[in-house]
Amino acid sequence: MAKHRKSKLDKKMDEIKRKEEAGLLGGESYNRAINKFKNNHLALLGLILFSLILLTSIFAPLISPYKPGTIDVLNRLKAPSLSHVFGTDQLGRDVFTRVLFGGRISILVGLGSALGAAFIGVLIGSYAGYKGSWIDKIFLRISEMFMSFPRMILVLMLVSILGQSLWNLIIIFILTGWGSVYRMVRSQMLSIREEEYVQALRAFGLSDFVIAYKHMLPNAIAPILVNITLSTAMFILQETSLSFLGLGVPLNIATWGNILNVAQDLNVLRENWWIWLPVGLIISIFVFSINFIGDGLRDSTDPSQQG
Amino acid sequence: MLLIITFLIYGGLELTPGDAVSYMVSPDVLANISPEKLVELRESLGLNDPFIVRYFNWLGGVLQGDFGYSLTSGVSISKIVFDRLGATLELSIAALLFSSIVGSVFGTLSALKRGSIFDHVVTIFGMVGVSIPRFFFALVSILIFSLTLNWLPAGGRIFPGYDSFWDRLPHLILPAIVLGSTMTAGVMRYARSSMLDALNKDYIKTARSKGIPEWRVNVVHGFRVALTPVVVLIGFRLPMLIGGSVVIEQVFQWPGIGKEFVSAVKGQNLPLIMMIAMFSVLAVLIASFLVDIFTALLDPRIKLD
Repeated sequence: MAKHRKSKLDKKMDEIKRKEEAGLLGGESYNRAINKFKNNHLALLGLILFSLILLTSIFAPLISPYKPGTIDVLNRLKAPSLSHVFGTDQLGRDVFTRVLFGGRISILVGLGSALGAAFIGVLIGSYAGYKGSWIDKIFLRISEMFMSFPRMILVLMLVSILGQSLWNLIIIFILTGWGSVYRMVRSQMLSIREEEYVQALRAFGLSDFVIAYKHMLPNAIAPILVNITLSTAMFILQETSLSFLGLGVPLNIATWGNILNVAQDLNVLRENWWIWLPVGLIISIFVFSINFIGDGLRDSTDPSQQG
Repeated sequence: MLLIITFLIYGGLELTPGDAVSYMVSPDVLANISPEKLVELRESLGLNDPFIVRYFNWLGGVLQGDFGYSLTSGVSISKIVFDRLGATLELSIAALLFSSIVGSVFGTLSALKRGSIFDHVVTIFGMVGVSIPRFFFALVSILIFSLTLNWLPAGGRIFPGYDSFWDRLPHLILPAIVLGSTMTAGVMRYARSSMLDALNKDYIKTARSKGIPEWRVNVVHGFRVALTPVVVLIGFRLPMLIGGSVVIEQVFQWPGIGKEFVSAVKGQNLPLIMMIAMFSVLAVLIASFLVDIFTALLDPRIKLD
């Protein structure tokens, strides 16, 4: 009767064996990464908050009955009520609507710049990191040069040279942001380059481009994803600070930073908290959630961070 | 490196719309000058020389402290910069001290009490600290501490007649804490993990087994080693501090270089923008040099070349 009196551990072992035989237990590392991410409650919370804010921004026209630019002089500076959830600003525009529509632009700037910077950084970084030689040296120097400027100063300097517009801002963010991606990808490639399979590929006579982009790059994808999430957060913070100063996206387009711009006035700051406090909180929560996602991604994909 | 940057900055200066004479010569001189004299002046200033020659002339001038003139006010740029340098330095050093002391102390304590409520609170504060836009934090703190509680002034630095350090101190507290907030959070997280790392090392166990008191093990053997990466981090974050002061000085109406920079960008005052940018690069390079020296002092294994 010993068969029926298996201990708990034995049962578990059997279960694993059965699954293994059925081919359900793939050894793929990304499965493990996904499981680990799922078990990270803070990262999941981040993902939920992130999606919530993202979706409400995307579907802004369906959610809000108002338009972000409609001026209603009769309803100026109204405190929050049922018809205006976040109240109205000095021109009678519905603040809640502006926050929703502002989110579209702010997220576009943040995500777009992060993706753009990552694209350029990866493009240069994987080839230069693999090839080394003079290409690498030149780009290393250029990125060093960009990085020796305090970022805010460099961004403002470029704003004054290129002029103030939405697309210019994204271009400027990409220009100032590719360096860190490049350096990270490069250092990844430097270590992958030493792997035996790369030497085998080289012995097969594959072209450098194929080796670098097709065979080496996929192994460096996890830290790149982490970098994209974390730099999205950073770019959103930068956009809001710049627009707050009145030097980011032109003021006629609603963005999270532009809504906060009016809070530079101490009267608005004291009397009309509904104009600036909710937006600020939403920016903070959004950035907070992206940071959680980024940290979760890093913990779940980086084998050196077990536990 | 600095040479290439000065070259680029001069390239930017050349893009300035309008006549280069306008920022090279004091406007007082320029106001009463005849057109023939102006042509002569251009020749004597070397404005008709090729680009490279002009660049080296300009560089020579900069090395001797001749930074040109602001386009809007006509004041010499060196005067503008040196007038405001004190205020900016005061603010950045206060923020730096605040964030390194508070950050490393709290980070270390939370590493020592790993898993406690204190540890969790510190970790969450660290997360919040890096996520809140600093200017929003500034606005909230102005609303709470100046406008509602009336404890601290909302902005400004010196009022006529009240210019001793103790009169300025209340003005300094809020901006310094806000400016240092992001860095405090970063230092805190970093100090925590690096202290945890240090406490797991063999020599800590050796020290404990020798019967050295616990606090001495933690402070002398653990903290000192854990501090090295923290100092490196602080060095890396210094550019962020300089960049951040641009926004914070604007919010608190702090009369420093950052505020001047914002108004220069708003007024398209390119010569001033370029010069301030160059100074900021210089500050970053000096700071990273100081960090190298400091780490070598802290960690006997590192030797300066």
